[in-house]
Amino acid sequence: MELERHRERGGGGGAGAAGPDPTPPKTPSGLTSPLPAAPKRRVPAAAPRMADPHPLFDDTSAAGGGGGGGGGAQPGRGYGGPPPVSSPYPPPASFLREPVSSLAVVYGSSLASQGRDIVDRNLDRFIPVGRLKYYFAVDTVYVGRKLGLLVFPFVHQDWQVRYQQDAPVAPRFDVNAPDLYIPVMAFITYILIAGLALGTQNRFSPDSLGLQASSALAWLIVEVLAVLLSLYLVTVNTDLTTIDLIAFAGYKYVGMIIGLVFGLLFGRTGYYVVLSWCCLSIFVFMIRTLRLKLLSEAAAEGVLVRGAKNQLRMYLTMAIAAAQPLFMYWLTYHLLRAGAGTGTGRVRGVAVLGAGGGGGIRGGPRVPPTQLGGGGPRAQGVLEQWGAKAPGCWSWAGG
Amino acid sequence: MAFTLYSLLQAALLIVNAIAVLHEERFLRHVGWGSDQGIGGFGEEPGIKAQLTNLIRSVRTVMRAAISARHFQSILPSRTDSV
Repeated sequence: MELERHRERGGGGGAGAAGPDPTPPKTPSGLTSPLPAAPKRRVPAAAPRMADPHPLFDDTSAAGGGGGGGGGAQPGRGYGGPPPVSSPYPPPASFLREPVSSLAVVYGSSLASQGRDIVDRNLDRFIPVGRLKYYFAVDTVYVGRKLGLLVFPFVHQDWQVRYQQDAPVAPRFDVNAPDLYIPVMAFITYILIAGLALGTQNRFSPDSLGLQASSALAWLIVEVLAVLLSLYLVTVNTDLTTIDLIAFAGYKYVGMIIGLVFGLLFGRTGYYVVLSWCCLSIFVFMIRTLRLKLLSEAAAEGVLVRGAKNQLRMYLTMAIAAAQPLFMYWLTYHLLRAGAGTGTGRVRGVAVLGAGGGGGIRGGPRVPPTQLGGGGPRAQGVLEQWGAKAPGCWSWAGG
Repeated sequence: MAFTLYSLLQAALLIVNAIAVLHEERFLRHVGWGSDQGIGGFGEEPGIKAQLTNLIRSVRTVMRAAISARHFQSILPSRTDSV
């Protein structure tokens, strides 16, 4: 008797350790695991009833529910708390044998690790994590040279990516290899500078940042999908992966950032000059990079190869490269629309930024200088901004 | 421009739906884009028209069930939104 009680307490402790499991693990025999804390309480009450070491099969007389109903009644109880001693169910302590509870613990933990394996495997199927690491293997020298290449690609001679045993070399070792570090950083910087540009025109609000981000991301996805579709239609046998295309589509954000910065500093003329330079350089960069990947060997070297197939591929390369300046202009011009062109506009913008980007009325005319007045209208402005979120959002976006 | 990811998703759904409703017998045959109309031999690389025809046929095959479910999912919330 004492031995049984000790064993049950040990079993209860073991099951209690596995207590935080929210759902009772399904044991193969169909029995649910015993409630973690309850058996401990029920042990003194149930102990006198157990006269034999194997109550699993014998302890049906006390309940009157029958041996078959014992296993079936257990799941119905859930966590309703310990049933009274006079409950119609057989005492759960009768199921609390050490082998069963420890089996439940082991099974539950193996289920958890199996679940984690499944998640890892499926995640690896959708997002190739191992491949992604290749694209982030960059260092400062590479980033510097790549940025220089994006802005001035006219002098660079050799655009071929070096291979090492049938696999492309990491970006750290070859400036021609595409990477994802620059596009990701440029994207984030673009969103921040967009917020800055909006703030200088009193058009800023926290949700406009999110709107800019999702809009730019959506355009990126559209562009990558369009390129993928056209690559499929033209049946080009290329080793360009989707991540490569994302990287190439992200390189234009560097030009956009430079154009925006110059636009904020020097007004619209500065913006146009710098943006056209960046558009030209990204155009040349894309043509020279994609030429090697999409066209056949002979055509890539500049020899004019006739044939419908090569012509189609050349058109495709030109189209992809020409889409970049279009996107660059489309995604930046509306940020400088209200024109930070005049000197007073700039100074005003900076002062407003210092005041915390007050109550700019979205979609409306530019803020009159009187609103710079004080902190009072600022708080009110923020409130009315938040209150007028839904219609204001669309009117701004439509503009 | 408020081009959110959700509107992108909706646009993609509509485009895929548009591709899926191109009826094989009533329409595509007459235009000459039927799936059994001379895709070409195996030695040749298929041209753009053959690729497009294949694409239409595969979109139709794959997306039939998924599109109906997705339609339910996007029509119902937008109806409650307008109320």
